Amino acid sequence: MVLDRRGFMKFVAGAGLGVMATPIPWKLLDDAAIWTQNWSWIPRNVKGETSYTYAVSKMCPSCVPMKVRMVGGRPVRVLPVDGHPLGGGVSSIAVAEVQMMFSPGRVKRPLYRAADGAFRELSWAEAVTLLQQKLQAAGSSTAFISGDENGSTNDVLSAFARALGAGDIFLMPSEAQCAARAAELMGIPAQLGYDLENSDYVLAIGANLLESWGPVIRNRRIFRDGRPVAGKKELPARLNIAYAGAVQNNTAAVARPWLPVYPGTEGILALGIANMLIAKGCSFDSPDFSEFKLLAAKYNPEVTAKETGVDLKKLEAVVKALMAAKAPLVIVGSEFSQGSGAAPVMAGFALNALLGNINKSGGVCLLPRAEAGIDGASARDEIFKNDLTAWIADRKTPQALVLHEANPAYALPGPQAVAAFLKAVPFKVSFSTYMDETAALCDLVLPIGMGLERIDDVNTPYGCGKTVYCISAVAADPRADVHNTANVILHVAKEMGKDLGFEYYEDLLKTKAVRYEKCDFAVLAAGQAAVSEARVEFSGFTARADVLAKALSPKTRGNKLGLAPYAKLNLGTAKTGIPPYNTKTLRGTELDGKDMYVMMNAKTARKKGLSDGDMVVLDSGKQQIRARLRVFEGVMMDTVAVCLGYGHTALDEFSQNKGANVMELMVAVPEPQTGLNVWSGTGVTVSKA
Amino acid sequence: MEMNYNRPIDAALFPDGCERGSLTKFLLWLGGVSVVLLLGLYAAFLVLSRGLGVTGLDDYFGFGLWITFDLGVIALGAGAFFTGLLRYILNIDPLKNIINLAVIVGFICYTGAMLVLLLDIGQPIRSWFGLWHPNVHSMLTEVIFCISCYCLVLIIEYIPLILEQKQINKNRLAHHIAHNLHLMMPLFAGIGAFLSTFHQGSLGGMYGVLFGRPYAFRDGFFIWPWTFFLFVLSAAASGPMLTVLIATLMEKMTGKKLVSFDIKALMGKIAGTMLLVYLVFKFMDTLAWINSVAPRSGLTFDQFFHGWIYGKWLLFTELVLCGVLPCVILLYKPLRDNPTLLYLAGILDCAGILINRYVMTVQTLAFPSLPFDKWALYCPNWVEWAACGFVFAYGAILLSISHRYLPIFPQERYLNGGCCAGGAKH
Amino acid sequence: MSAKKEFNVKWGMAIDLDKCTGCGACMVACQAENNLAPVADASNKLRVMNWLVVFELSNNKEFPDHEVAYLPRPCQQCAEQPCATVCPVVATERNEEGGIVSQIYPRCIGCRYCMAACPYHARYFNWFDPVWPKGMEKALTPDVSVRPRGVVEKCTFCHHRYMMAKDKLRAQGKNIFVKGEKRGTKHSAIAEGDYVTSCAEACPNGAIVFGDLNNPAHRVYQLTHDNPNAFRLLERLGTDTAVYYISSREWVRRLGDNYLKDEITQKPEKILPKKH
Repeated sequence: MVLDRRGFMKFVAGAGLGVMATPIPWKLLDDAAIWTQNWSWIPRNVKGETSYTYAVSKMCPSCVPMKVRMVGGRPVRVLPVDGHPLGGGVSSIAVAEVQMMFSPGRVKRPLYRAADGAFRELSWAEAVTLLQQKLQAAGSSTAFISGDENGSTNDVLSAFARALGAGDIFLMPSEAQCAARAAELMGIPAQLGYDLENSDYVLAIGANLLESWGPVIRNRRIFRDGRPVAGKKELPARLNIAYAGAVQNNTAAVARPWLPVYPGTEGILALGIANMLIAKGCSFDSPDFSEFKLLAAKYNPEVTAKETGVDLKKLEAVVKALMAAKAPLVIVGSEFSQGSGAAPVMAGFALNALLGNINKSGGVCLLPRAEAGIDGASARDEIFKNDLTAWIADRKTPQALVLHEANPAYALPGPQAVAAFLKAVPFKVSFSTYMDETAALCDLVLPIGMGLERIDDVNTPYGCGKTVYCISAVAADPRADVHNTANVILHVAKEMGKDLGFEYYEDLLKTKAVRYEKCDFAVLAAGQAAVSEARVEFSGFTARADVLAKALSPKTRGNKLGLAPYAKLNLGTAKTGIPPYNTKTLRGTELDGKDMYVMMNAKTARKKGLSDGDMVVLDSGKQQIRARLRVFEGVMMDTVAVCLGYGHTALDEFSQNKGANVMELMVAVPEPQTGLNVWSGTGVTVSKA
Repeated sequence: MEMNYNRPIDAALFPDGCERGSLTKFLLWLGGVSVVLLLGLYAAFLVLSRGLGVTGLDDYFGFGLWITFDLGVIALGAGAFFTGLLRYILNIDPLKNIINLAVIVGFICYTGAMLVLLLDIGQPIRSWFGLWHPNVHSMLTEVIFCISCYCLVLIIEYIPLILEQKQINKNRLAHHIAHNLHLMMPLFAGIGAFLSTFHQGSLGGMYGVLFGRPYAFRDGFFIWPWTFFLFVLSAAASGPMLTVLIATLMEKMTGKKLVSFDIKALMGKIAGTMLLVYLVFKFMDTLAWINSVAPRSGLTFDQFFHGWIYGKWLLFTELVLCGVLPCVILLYKPLRDNPTLLYLAGILDCAGILINRYVMTVQTLAFPSLPFDKWALYCPNWVEWAACGFVFAYGAILLSISHRYLPIFPQERYLNGGCCAGGAKH
Repeated sequence: MSAKKEFNVKWGMAIDLDKCTGCGACMVACQAENNLAPVADASNKLRVMNWLVVFELSNNKEFPDHEVAYLPRPCQQCAEQPCATVCPVVATERNEEGGIVSQIYPRCIGCRYCMAACPYHARYFNWFDPVWPKGMEKALTPDVSVRPRGVVEKCTFCHHRYMMAKDKLRAQGKNIFVKGEKRGTKHSAIAEGDYVTSCAEACPNGAIVFGDLNNPAHRVYQLTHDNPNAFRLLERLGTDTAVYYISSREWVRRLGDNYLKDEITQKPEKILPKKH
């Protein structure tokens, strides 16, 4: 048979019709729903058996406990842990901590700076050898900065420093440091704690209680339990929160009332309230009570109103509520969790003493100080005595600098000066998970695991009302070639002939765990917290009116606007930058492309001839930053509010090129008498760009 | 046939007794238009390969220029169904002189709209789901069905025109098909009118049923919101005028008379009548909207407008400047008989309908439905414009070729001094 | 329009706006749970995929009388859906016990008509294919499929968790429903708290309470029934949503709907007739 043209056409037509009569084309067409859903470039879900592990966030300052959902051995979700003293929900940082294991900004393997200035990879063995050589050479001229104030890595660092004969060991500045210094000045041998759990009226002055102050998730759980949902069928609120601060921040949004005050006047407000309480007959036992009374008397309501800008009527109502409360509590802190010095905390303590709540249920409690777990290591409060900003300002450049999870080149006031200081240090090594601004300046960058990937501990974060000790076990396989900072240091110390008594960090944690009753290491590593109600007996204190008088003296603002920096957890920390999953939480009124917004109220804006959306320059005299202006009525008069966490130059695309770093504007100045530096009272001029 | 070297090289293909310009000039024109076409194709490539993110659309403006464009061309393309209805069903015979053009314009508008829709939906491969998995409660389902079917009708109406091309018509089969299709044309015109009425209505219904969007929401009759009827009427009021305008534009471009003015004026009168009916209902609807829909939603008339871009001037322009004014011109004979005024009225008429489709699409979505939200701004980007440009270019090319080779205008020979008076007989 | 469907079980929320501090943890928890891809620049809010958005509310008064509130907005799971009725391909419907409005990604053709219809802006379109930073796709949950470009998506009240809770009951050989106290009613056998959305679970303030709006034993029922502080968004449109908000502040409640000047909050003079 010959296939001619006609025959061929018939065959094709017949075949076509025949195929159409089969289900094949119709099935294929119907399957369009499936194959248009599953393109090869779309990631697939991978199924697996679900299991859970437990950890405590080392990344979020709230130290929130986490239940990690694993699917086929892969971590996929962070879930809250109920019934944990620090738990009750998840913070906006911790909730996507699993995803942050894959952040593009991670340091994947050890890096050293080659002669041409660029980073080159090296093996861990080479890195450790290099580190050992450099530290050996630097000897006692080695300094240490740790960005983790709650972990026992500090024990290892400080023991090592002691062994080297080095005294320069620092923690990044924090509220805990201000409080530790305050306790010391007042002669209280304890860590200040706050029994929020049992308080019925909390006045937070500057302390951003529900977003950035202390173990926030625990604070918020207490708020949750103490404030039933408003409605007919629920009980009245068991906990009321009043908030005084310059910005209507997350805490102020739910506080009743919000007392707007000028930034940096928290201590003065506390003295003003002290005066009102004393006038109502409150007092406390202190050798210098009469001096304190005199000092407080200087801040009569009129002066207080003038200096802090507070509305007296509202203030009186708050004072009345404080006096009426069964368990009132005053917490003084900083709206951006740093830089406010010891004096405001001291004034706050005096207020609590006036309210008679020291070591009482729902009041301020005196917790035993955290002790070091290695012989010769300094306790946390000892390390807090060293002020990092002051040391950097002194410019006694060490030969070597060891940084553990610290990013001073971003997070300290005047980051440019800090960077210049760092550049002058001949050898600096950063133990870091992410390639942050400081790591990018270092000579050696050693990747460490994220909290989820390493074993570590959390020891009574500042703000707790009781002693809480947690072990955070390894919850997930590391996604980079990492080692634990402490293990590396222990190893290097041993190689240098300075045995610190432990082979591995885990061994140190085990000895710490046994100190707590009924809790062995395995139980703690499985996610349970060791809790102790032990308190240091309160045997009086000195109010230190002499210190307060100098440190809290009113400052003249002149023509400048008060700078009110404020912190929000969804922008991450200096260590993490903005977590990838958090960019969407930034409102259009907070960030627009590369421009961040700073806020002031309409009256202030009018005074300065500015309007909503203007590009403005904030000038502290030394440094300038640019931003867009948002007119927001929740800002104190003559104040400009600027959010922390923008302006990263390192890390990854989720953090870079977004706004400016407000720390640029801040200038650290000595707080009289306390030995700390403060930078909460910075003034700036704001003008149209 | 002997070659006449004075005539263009493709002269053998021209309709009987009609002269055309040189082929070179024609190809240059097509080439020029093709640039726009290619740009549109590139835009389409971007959309299909990368996703709709390359457009200026967003989550507030899921509908934007393209939907406005689709609604606009479908309304203006209504000349085809409405003229067909009058010509074949109501036997208004003079309209035979413009019906062919109306069909082609309709064909271009509908196929163009379908092309743009194919880009506009996120999953073009699934576009047939609308027919296969229909939701009978959705106005859009009705639109999908009617438009698909009506597109077929328009193809059927277009086929005889092609088959009547001088050379093709020599083929006996083609000739017979064309002839028989012509005989059946009243049937198709009827089907077309039915389908068209429904989908024009359903397009309006699409907005009228949006009870979450008070700017667009309307009460109605049975399952049909008032916008259903308003869209049908407004399409009938503007479609004929677009046909007239295109005929006139073609005359200006070719330098030939194609349709006699009395036919255009007749179309104008028809459109004017429809516009009057439409406007009466539209004003009633607007009043009901202001006095019923708005207060029921807790809103005032003023709240529906914002700033300049969403200002009240749009409503005024739509209803008065582009509604009442052209209506007066078209219905008052002395004015209508002035060609300039007739064309002006046509332009205003069409513009009014376009504004209506625009505000129903964009302003509906820009309006802050949540009391704590803000008015949203929409700005179409070049990709969206280019895709619309593609349809214009495609239409221009199709019309140019059709005009050059197909006997569209029965009066052309007569009006341009040809030998045979009275136009071609079918 | 189809008749409103009533179910024995109606999952819903009560969100206490006096408790929400606007921290954003719920938004992040939602993204991680439902496999939403992160984006480096999220400043074009009209292009950012977010099933749950926290809006900032202001009483619009000048300093110092200014007050602020935050309002998390998931899909409101309307009983009278503006969206599902308009979908041409039945890619979204409310047709299952529990009253959750589904979204079937393989069916959706991406016409976005539902987005135009939803007054809550709860629906989002995949303008591009989702991209995760290299390796981050390893942290995707196995429960929610990844959506390609060109389809619409929205909050599903973590429907996969509902299915898992039911599966758990089935595996234990238990019934899915139990008899209610009132005659003729039945309730889900899932214990309160065994099925909770990711956002409600994450919120440290306990601002989001999730449960069965038809079950008098559930907290969400108690909070939303007979509570003068409870309101729903755009109630007068007649959407009959399953998300209630609670605030003791009148200005917050008034922002929940559009009111004419002289209308009383939560009691507009004219009430929308039931049928549209």
